[in-house]
Amino acid sequence: MKIEIDESRCKGCNLCTVGCPYKIFQAGKKPNRKGVLVPLLDRPERCTNCRLQHLYGRVLCGVCQMTCPDQAIRFRDEKSGEPVKVAIEY
Amino acid sequence: MSYEDWFRQDRLPHIYCAGCGNGTIINCTLEAIEEMGWKKEETIFVSGIGCSSRAPGYIVTDSLHTTHGRALPFATGVKMARPGFHVIVFTGDGDLAAIGGNHFIHACRRNIDITVVCMNNQIYGMTGGQGSPTTPKGALSTTTPFGSVEPAFDLCELAIAAGANYVARWTSYHVKELTKAVKAGLENPGLSFIEARVQCPTNYGRRNKFKQVLDQVEHLRSHSMLRQKYLQHQERGDAVPDGTIVVGEFVKRNRPSMGVPR
Ligand SMILES: Cc1ncc(C[n+]2csc(CCOP(=O)(O)OP(=O)(O)O)c2C)c(N)n1
Ligand code: SF4
Ligand code: SF4
Ligand code: SF4
Ligand SMILES: [Mg+2]
Repeated sequence: MKIEIDESRCKGCNLCTVGCPYKIFQAGKKPNRKGVLVPLLDRPERCTNCRLQHLYGRVLCGVCQMTCPDQAIRFRDEKSGEPVKVAIEY
Repeated sequence: MSYEDWFRQDRLPHIYCAGCGNGTIINCTLEAIEEMGWKKEETIFVSGIGCSSRAPGYIVTDSLHTTHGRALPFATGVKMARPGFHVIVFTGDGDLAAIGGNHFIHACRRNIDITVVCMNNQIYGMTGGQGSPTTPKGALSTTTPFGSVEPAFDLCELAIAAGANYVARWTSYHVKELTKAVKAGLENPGLSFIEARVQCPTNYGRRNKFKQVLDQVEHLRSHSMLRQKYLQHQERGDAVPDGTIVVGEFVKRNRPSMGVPR
């Protein structure tokens, strides 16, 4: 499972950069087509939910998704054959 | 199934300004409703007028977007006519406590079985930043250019005094706690009132020294004090710093209520 920011929705408020315990969301620097500074993901494979949601059968953490006032953050499964990165941070 | 299924995807992105806290509160409320396992056909959202009151327009269920301040009378009507329906009200501080103030106390007195989520940004957001009954002393707004001199309403204490069965307050920073509080409110019969303190960067923040949205959210976080701790402070007679936001569950009780399905 991985995190996705929907660029058609994100307004670049950076609220997602505060809540994440791993600081996965970093303020964006380059404006996109709409002029929005969409945050960048720093080693998103560390995300608790991406690693463990399937194992536990429920959303773990999910703070970034709840916080995003524009419903721009999504968790989605990798397509079959898509490489999956794994990282664990202690 | 997830709370995302409750959104009218074709209506998103919504019109709220970048960094407006209202969207966060909608997420948390819908997540709590999703956890209740309620059917969309049996859930109704009612609101008045204001930025906060636009929320039902982004939700797939039937809803009533009514006149300014009158969400509660409409919600009362829906609930009394169809007690089997789940009725949730989205409202703002102006909508609920200014023009709708009288409806608020009477809905609490009657203790109608509905859940009221108030997005309190301490300002009239939609109309350009006029002061509301919850604008804190000293705050700048278009109608208080030298700082508000009036004391502000404490919406939670008001709801408790008027008789609501469940009362809690959290902020847009506390997404997990807020979701739990809304769920507890949905489960409790009678009127449940959840005050969510939110940032309005456009009409409150930018006039009140919050240059960035994050500054305002950090203010909400750092000025929040758990109610238990607040009560301990009071017991010892210790002063609580100005601008403290008391958060947590204020009341959970079982006074007689109206509109509870039999
Ligand atoms: C009867 C009536 N009076 C005044 C207005 C203008 N008006 C629209 S929204 C609003 C204030 C909304 O403030 P609040 O409820 O706090 O919502 P916010 O926009 O801050 O979320 C006012 C005064 C109106 N629409 N109808
Ligand atoms: S919280 Fe949402 S809208 Fe704001 S910057 Fe992050 S992804 Fe974009
Ligand atoms: S779910 Fe939690 S850990 Fe994962 S990215 Fe979001 S905030 Fe960070
Ligand atoms: S004016 Fe304030 S309350 Fe209204 S959408 Fe903008 S930030 Fe939100
Ligand atoms: Mg308001």
